[in-house]
Amino acid sequence: MLTLTINGQSREVDAPEDMPLLWVLRDHLGLVGTKYGCGIAQCGVCTVHVGGKPVRSCQLTVGDVGTRAVVTIEAVGNTPHGAKVQQAWMEAAVPQCGYCQAGQIMSATALLDSNPNPDDSDIDAAMAGNLCRCGTYIRIRRAIKNAAAKSA
Amino acid sequence: MKKLIGIGVAVIVAVALGFAGWLFLGRDPMSFAGGAPVALEDYKGGNITGVPAQLAGADLVKRGAYLIHAADCQACHTTPGGVPFAGGFAFNMPFGTLYSTNITPDKQTGIGNYTDAQFLAAVHKGIRADGEKLYPAMPYASYALMTDADALAIKAYLFTLAPVRAPPKQDQLSWPFNQRALLALWNGAFNPDERFRPDTGQSPQWNRGAYLAEAMGHCGECHTPRNPAFALDNHRKFAGALTAGWRAYNITSDKASGLGDWTDEDIYLYLSTGHANGHGGSAGPMGEATDNSLSYLVPDDVHALVTYLRSIPAHASDLPRTVTTPAPASHKEGLVAEADPRGEKIFAGACASCHDWTGVSPVTGYATLTGVRAVNDPNATNVAQTVINGVARKTSQGKIFMPAFGEGYSDDDIAAVANYVTARFGAKGAHLTGGDVADLRKQASQKPNSQEAPHG
Repeated sequence: MLTLTINGQSREVDAPEDMPLLWVLRDHLGLVGTKYGCGIAQCGVCTVHVGGKPVRSCQLTVGDVGTRAVVTIEAVGNTPHGAKVQQAWMEAAVPQCGYCQAGQIMSATALLDSNPNPDDSDIDAAMAGNLCRCGTYIRIRRAIKNAAAKSA
Repeated sequence: MKKLIGIGVAVIVAVALGFAGWLFLGRDPMSFAGGAPVALEDYKGGNITGVPAQLAGADLVKRGAYLIHAADCQACHTTPGGVPFAGGFAFNMPFGTLYSTNITPDKQTGIGNYTDAQFLAAVHKGIRADGEKLYPAMPYASYALMTDADALAIKAYLFTLAPVRAPPKQDQLSWPFNQRALLALWNGAFNPDERFRPDTGQSPQWNRGAYLAEAMGHCGECHTPRNPAFALDNHRKFAGALTAGWRAYNITSDKASGLGDWTDEDIYLYLSTGHANGHGGSAGPMGEATDNSLSYLVPDDVHALVTYLRSIPAHASDLPRTVTTPAPASHKEGLVAEADPRGEKIFAGACASCHDWTGVSPVTGYATLTGVRAVNDPNATNVAQTVINGVARKTSQGKIFMPAFGEGYSDDDIAAVANYVTARFGAKGAHLTGGDVADLRKQASQKPNSQEAPHG
């Protein structure tokens, strides 16, 4: 039995230690907002926050989470930057098909947490690992800047 | 005039003899220890060959299974994804390509008809059952130190395997290297064909470690530089060398470029698991050595190897001292002037999510780049190889995985990202070109590895 802190709550999980966190979130805890994409940390769709850092949950085994707090798309709106990012996302109508967007929002929020006023190169460096097949990159960048402006 | 010619000839002969003598003296892997080697049967320090105490009562085949792991026969006698011991692994040499042979007990294409004497001749002397000579890619000059009993236990194990019909692949060597008969000269010079002689000036643990490292694990075949005749140059024993397109690191006691700064525990963990925190993990050929060989050794044997490695005299190599501090969190800080923008872009998209801009992975210690020797090698050899080939190791601690980017990224891309990674996280940035990467691909090339990323 493993004890994890997920979205501010302590959760007991009966899963093997080498199971990817993504599986635990989706299949054991029913938190299906986090999506499965490539399975090799190359698309960013499974991004969650672990200890405040954006992490690809398909590659992080649940045994390696340790005591670090996990935040998923279901609760990121409860954080100051998460709320602003989600609001900016709606205002800019960022999503098209939407599949990658949970990961995009998690990476964008983590960026603002560490750097409240990112310039274009900061945004590229933080978001380059989050792919969007619909090509919403221009709107993503605009929404991040709008969210940052609201934070200021 | 005649006198002058005579002196000239004498000088040339003296230099040639001196050089030959120097090569000759470099062939003994344990001469550094001095001491008083004795014949194994005269040694009073207990059992230092064979299996460890806990397997002493095991049957011949079980003992052979332990010893075949210790001698790491599998890594070279198996193609990636192929049937173990069926051969076909490619050795890409400057003078052509050689293939390992089928050592399953198939009577037509394997070693099913080998007598004990024929097997010993192959292992100790590099001579096949048909009398032809093997190339020293088969490390018989190291295995010559192995006892007959241990070699025959390995044979007994091999003969329990299912025979696999796998005809030998045709070697592609240029003249004169394709003349196997010429190997008689090489053998005369570099394979004394003598069994292991314990050193009474050293502890039994050291002697066990020496036997495991030299007669069985043949560490020097990758880690010791070679002389112009492609034999091991033990004047610079374990000082590091380039083998099969990968860098085998300096494992002498040198503080800056060897293991001098590693704790015993670090070395123990690296050998037994292929990873030591702060030093990175094994990949490529050393990953195979870990997974096929070292991870099977009992703790006492790994400790013996640590003792032996600790005794190797320091030889500095040209690698700079490892940087052990993480890079800054922002991509804009740290190196900027030297950075290759193309490399930074690729790092941002493909690498940063696991390796982080600091080099300290939020995912797993296996992915931390800080302090890793590969990123501190200004040639970036192993960084480029790891990017090309990825890592797919199964260990007792779970799976270690990095995608193989070789099929998806161009030579120029891989050079750019390797240059960026060594500059950002290591001591000195590399200057690889796309041509260098193409060359590295060729040197490490095996049959195309069709292993796909795990889906679903």
